[in-house]
Amino acid sequence: MSKRLLFIQHRPPYSDDRATELLDALLVAAAFGQTVTVLFQDDGVWQLLREQNGQALERKTLLAQLQALGLYDVERLYVDQQSLQERGLGSLTLGLPATPLAAGEIAPLLAEHDLVLRF
Amino acid sequence: MNFALLVTAAPGQENAWHALRFCEAALNCGHRVARVFFYADGIHHANALHSPPQDEPDLHRAWARLAETHGLELIVCVAAALRRGVLDADTARRQEKPTHNLGAGYTISGLGQLAEAMIEADRFVTFAG
Repeated sequence: MSKRLLFIQHRPPYSDDRATELLDALLVAAAFGQTVTVLFQDDGVWQLLREQNGQALERKTLLAQLQALGLYDVERLYVDQQSLQERGLGSLTLGLPATPLAAGEIAPLLAEHDLVLRF
Repeated sequence: MNFALLVTAAPGQENAWHALRFCEAALNCGHRVARVFFYADGIHHANALHSPPQDEPDLHRAWARLAETHGLELIVCVAAALRRGVLDADTARRQEKPTHNLGAGYTISGLGQLAEAMIEADRFVTFAG
């Protein structure tokens, strides 16, 4: 049985462990054969910065871990365009090929999934 | 209806209290709660040394009691628990730690149990910190 699961990354990459912990949970769900989609929203869009380096905080660079998503067949990646624009990141080249979604496209994305996980 | 719950709120947070009350209400309405998965700061629920003042709710004991009465599975993510210092006897020995503090009624396991709960539950509800 395969469910469509939407994981929403809305936390900044290094403020605590939650961004990593959400990533771990979604990778395991993908390894269990579920159809996994990821939406980066609010401060979660900082996770997509290409030039980030966690070593300054003695942390692993989250982007490097996010780049493993393809190995788990997690290929549907979306980013909330409004969240990018609010943070002045609208014109930046991102570190992952996430498809930008306009405000009106978020609700249909939620609706097409069986389960939404965000914490 | 078959529910599964994810608790990432720490015991002192409002959502942690809502998780417990939601679970009680679901059970009282005749629903089944197959599994409660504690993750992120939610794992602090499993700490047996949790000692809130007497006039404040003790969520550690409340969950353990509920689990005993209704046969709930209280699963604690091993990686999140190790990172925050909640260990069962086995893990403490392997990590060469001086003591262990996982409360009775709670079980340490992996994220596979979370994935399984998401797949099998009719309704999956998150109580975030």
